[in-house]
Amino acid sequence: MLLPAHDYVKPRTLEEGLGVLSRSGAAVRLLGGGTDVTFNMRNRLMQPAVLLSIRELPELLGVEEWPDGSLRIGAACRLADLAAHQAVNSRHPALAAAFKAVASSHVRNMATLGGNLNLDTRCWYANQTQEWRAAKGGCLKTGVDACHVVASVKTCVAINNADTPPALIALDATITLASAGGRRTLRLADYYRADGVTHTVRRTDEVLTEVIVPPTPDRLVFIKDTARLGIDFAYGTIAARRAADGRTRLVLGSLGPAPVVLRRAAVIATQRGLADTHIEEAAEAAREDLGVVSNLYTPAAYKRDLARELVRRALTALRDMP
Amino acid sequence: MSAKPGEFTVIGRRQPRLDGFEKVSGRAVYTDDIVLPGMLHGRILRSPHPRARIVSIDASRALALPGVKAVISSRDFPDVLFSERQPLFARDTANYIGEEVAAVAAVDAITAEEALHLIDVTWEPLPAATTLREALRNGAPRIHDWAPGNVGPTHEKDYGDPDLGFAESDLVVEDQFRTPMQHNTLTEFHVALADWSKPEKLTVWTPTQSAPMYQQNLAKGLGLTESQVRIVYNNIGGAFTGRGRPKPHHFIAALLSRRTGRPVKIRAAGDEEFIMFRGSGETQYRFRTGVTRDGRIKAIEMDITFDSGGHAEWVMILWLPAAVMNWLYHAKGSRYRGRFILTNSVPKGSHHGGIFGRISAGWMQHMTRVAEAIGMDPAEFHLLNAMDPGDTGLDGTHFASCGLKECIRAVVERSGWKQKYGKLPRYRGIGIGIGAQASGSKGAANDTSAAMVKVDGDGLVTLFTGIPDMGQGSHTVMSMIAAEVLGIEPADVRIVAGDSDVVPFDWGAFSQRGTFMTGNAVKNAAEDARKQLAAVAAQLFGVPESELRFGARRVFPASSPQKALSFAQLVGKTFNSPEGRYVMGRGFFNSPRAFGPLACSFGAQVAEVEVDPATGAVKVLKVTAAHDIGRALNPLGVEGQLDGQVFSGMSQVLYEECKTDDGQVLNPSRLEYKLPRTWELPAVEYILVETIDPYGPFGAKEVGEGPIVVTMAAIASAVANALGVGMVEEIPMTPWRVRAVLDRMPG
Ligand SMILES: Cc1cc2nc3c(=O)[nH]c(=O)nc-3n(C[C@H](O)[C@H](O)[C@H](O)COP(=O)(O)OP(=O)(O)OC[C@H]3O[C@@H](n4cnc5c(N)ncnc54)[C@H](O)[C@@H]3O)c2cc1C
Repeated sequence: MLLPAHDYVKPRTLEEGLGVLSRSGAAVRLLGGGTDVTFNMRNRLMQPAVLLSIRELPELLGVEEWPDGSLRIGAACRLADLAAHQAVNSRHPALAAAFKAVASSHVRNMATLGGNLNLDTRCWYANQTQEWRAAKGGCLKTGVDACHVVASVKTCVAINNADTPPALIALDATITLASAGGRRTLRLADYYRADGVTHTVRRTDEVLTEVIVPPTPDRLVFIKDTARLGIDFAYGTIAARRAADGRTRLVLGSLGPAPVVLRRAAVIATQRGLADTHIEEAAEAAREDLGVVSNLYTPAAYKRDLARELVRRALTALRDMP
Repeated sequence: MSAKPGEFTVIGRRQPRLDGFEKVSGRAVYTDDIVLPGMLHGRILRSPHPRARIVSIDASRALALPGVKAVISSRDFPDVLFSERQPLFARDTANYIGEEVAAVAAVDAITAEEALHLIDVTWEPLPAATTLREALRNGAPRIHDWAPGNVGPTHEKDYGDPDLGFAESDLVVEDQFRTPMQHNTLTEFHVALADWSKPEKLTVWTPTQSAPMYQQNLAKGLGLTESQVRIVYNNIGGAFTGRGRPKPHHFIAALLSRRTGRPVKIRAAGDEEFIMFRGSGETQYRFRTGVTRDGRIKAIEMDITFDSGGHAEWVMILWLPAAVMNWLYHAKGSRYRGRFILTNSVPKGSHHGGIFGRISAGWMQHMTRVAEAIGMDPAEFHLLNAMDPGDTGLDGTHFASCGLKECIRAVVERSGWKQKYGKLPRYRGIGIGIGAQASGSKGAANDTSAAMVKVDGDGLVTLFTGIPDMGQGSHTVMSMIAAEVLGIEPADVRIVAGDSDVVPFDWGAFSQRGTFMTGNAVKNAAEDARKQLAAVAAQLFGVPESELRFGARRVFPASSPQKALSFAQLVGKTFNSPEGRYVMGRGFFNSPRAFGPLACSFGAQVAEVEVDPATGAVKVLKVTAAHDIGRALNPLGVEGQLDGQVFSGMSQVLYEECKTDDGQVLNPSRLEYKLPRTWELPAVEYILVETIDPYGPFGAKEVGEGPIVVTMAAIASAVANALGVGMVEEIPMTPWRVRAVLDRMPG
């Protein structure tokens, strides 16, 4: 349970860091706040030769308000700062709520937005000590062709348990990935893969440098359901957005390997409106459409019930917002 | 009945914890803070198989690693037993994932950890049975030769005439219940630091509830005499029955120290905390009760099946419930059937609340169902059948003081029970539970507590006691008792504790015996010292000793308080008298009963809950708790105990569960083993029912585990009431279990 031996590199500039990544990306693990990396290293889930600290890179810091009303958030911004940030709170209070929903104040004082967006997926069988896992003989996540959650699967079903992606996806946020070769911009919605092992499309030579949140007059709500207040990973989260013309978007988090954009439920809410019966229909659609397995805390049947309830609550909140 | 004004100067005062500042300022020393010169770090190699034969162990690669000082296994110590039929290190077969196979001592923790991976063990996996269900199945592998059908020790006992009781009943109700594996979640992780560099003396620094129990077990296992084993404990981060006896790591640290001649520390690393703990295992219950149409309980029956894990370590929990089930109600007879089932999983013990907290979560739901089956209000039903002062339970336990009925009446009134029971809206529920708990339950002849005080010239007193303070506040209460007797202030009493070489014998802090047993011992010791001082004062004042008063750091004849000497002056005069007497008082206490408790606390609680039918989440709105604790020596401490127990009771009923696969805990951390936080604490209203017990120190009984038993009962019953089902047959009542209950309900 002690950290394995590794080198620690703290570049002064992004370019210097990208240089390290382009030379030996696969052996490098980016270090944001370290609130997840260090645990995974202690458990020998990650044994990088190099930890590359990016939390103080100037290019990754700061919140800017652009003339078009967009917010540009540096990936190394700490969640505690973002949750309290005036511009974030005034423009997107539900996004501020999502930042604040992560872990506890102690963790948010260390944790970065980039770390949260890249948070490794989690599973009963993988997030254990090396000795613990050895008793089980490893799994997809540790390079063995086996899954202890669902024996038959070929793709890892570890859960994306991060709290901030659903709200940012609902807001149509884009991200910038930088490498020594250049920059690319991606919708956050396209960043995640439903595979617990390779859960994003990031290449090992890339760093997520910033998140751009476009302006919107739409309503947004974020809800997180947990066992306990003020510390826990979610049983489930939802971000829901609704435009004045009724267009609705629903994004669930923590119920599978990637955030889930609910199509049918959103269409029902968009086309039929938010009368109680239609909310119920949309919620039921969410329950039926969600593919889930029993992993982390809750059984599959409950995950579906929870999805229904989250949709119900989110749509009701959108309707009742002043 | 509270103390009459002027009856006491210290007792009954709301005394803040004397060790509070030390603790909140982070200065309190815990075992892991101790670093000795030359100290090594130990780590334990554990079995990765639920059941497997050890073909060979080869430590040569580990021993070759620089910094490694010793590697030991059953090959080195084949005869050291941990419990009766259980070798310390797995010898031929390992019986659970996590069982001790070998251990390493190295110069630092990382080297020790590395060395573990260099020990080569050849295994031959065997078929395993890791749950009660698997172990009881036809054709299940037999885990131990001595346990056919995997049935370990059993305990069967009838009290009174249960068959007659059932025959006289108009109605017999039967229910099933299940509780899962639960962890004691001690704030301080398991840790032992052992120094056995000299063969005739083993010193172990470790948190404990009972130094003598550790001395006895270690001495027996390691071939020493009891006082050759010295147990040193500092501040202790919780115990909750989890530190009642030494665990394998205590023995292993000692053996590594013997082997290397240096002190060795072993501290639980991460998920090891969930292997070392010995909390409660999965348990299945069957309750059967016979009643007459007019609501009189005639017969009580309990049948309990315990998953004892890979060994039968702590048999006490098997026989404890048999007696306790007789302490609440009058009945013709009762019957207890208990059995340990061996499974390939971590050996079990018990959790906060003992075994009775968990029983109570099911039993009191069952009793509510019995009441409702005959059309009675459950509160009335409890009241009708409850014990009175002067009663004796079927097991022979006598209740010289008993405020059970007062407690029931108090919670009924203060919670608004009559306005609420049966009248709440859907998904709101109210439940009542009652309970009794031993104030120390004698299990052995030497269930003794002893104490010494020495009185110094500046009027300060040093109290030598063997009672550990695990957070329950015992040291503060012992200071209060000594201060009351000697007429000084609690802050004038310095506690020396935590070193078995220094303090007199004390069986320890378990079975809720601290205040009652140690309190009596401290009172006796202080009275002995006072008697010595009084003899001198009587001469000085020329009055009989019975005329003397000790109080507010003064001593004076009752008739002329203006003549008072300060306590320190009297001590000085005693020391400087022709006799030159240095005052030391000694005292001890042992119950006059041969077996079982001399006094019991009683309590009743009403809980109100709200269930969210969509998510299944349960919220506890309010708990009204009335407890007969004898006299509240320190009401502030009593309330702290109540808060903690309502919290922990709620936690066990609604949250806590070790999820397992192949006997391995899937959630072995404080993040994943979901204990609620203070945010989740409900409003608690306390009512202290002070029946003054004739045997307790100043009339006090216990508040160590009485309340939690009742909380578990009240909350579980309230959830069943909110759901409109007779019983919720399993705890914890997590959101998904509650949803499943709702899904099964018609309509
Ligand atoms: C007690 C506890 C409770 C927690 N509860 C929650 C919770 O409720 N909700 C929740 O969402 N999380 C929770 N977490 C997980 C974690 O703390 C947070 O997700 C946090 O935001 C991670 O940020 P970090 O900066 O510390 O990440 P790090 O640990 O530094 O990194 C996490 C991952 O992201 C990668 N990474 C970091 N920055 C970048 C970047 N700029 N570009 C590309 N990759 C990057 C790292 O290489 C690593 O793989 C909890 C953790 C703990 C210890």
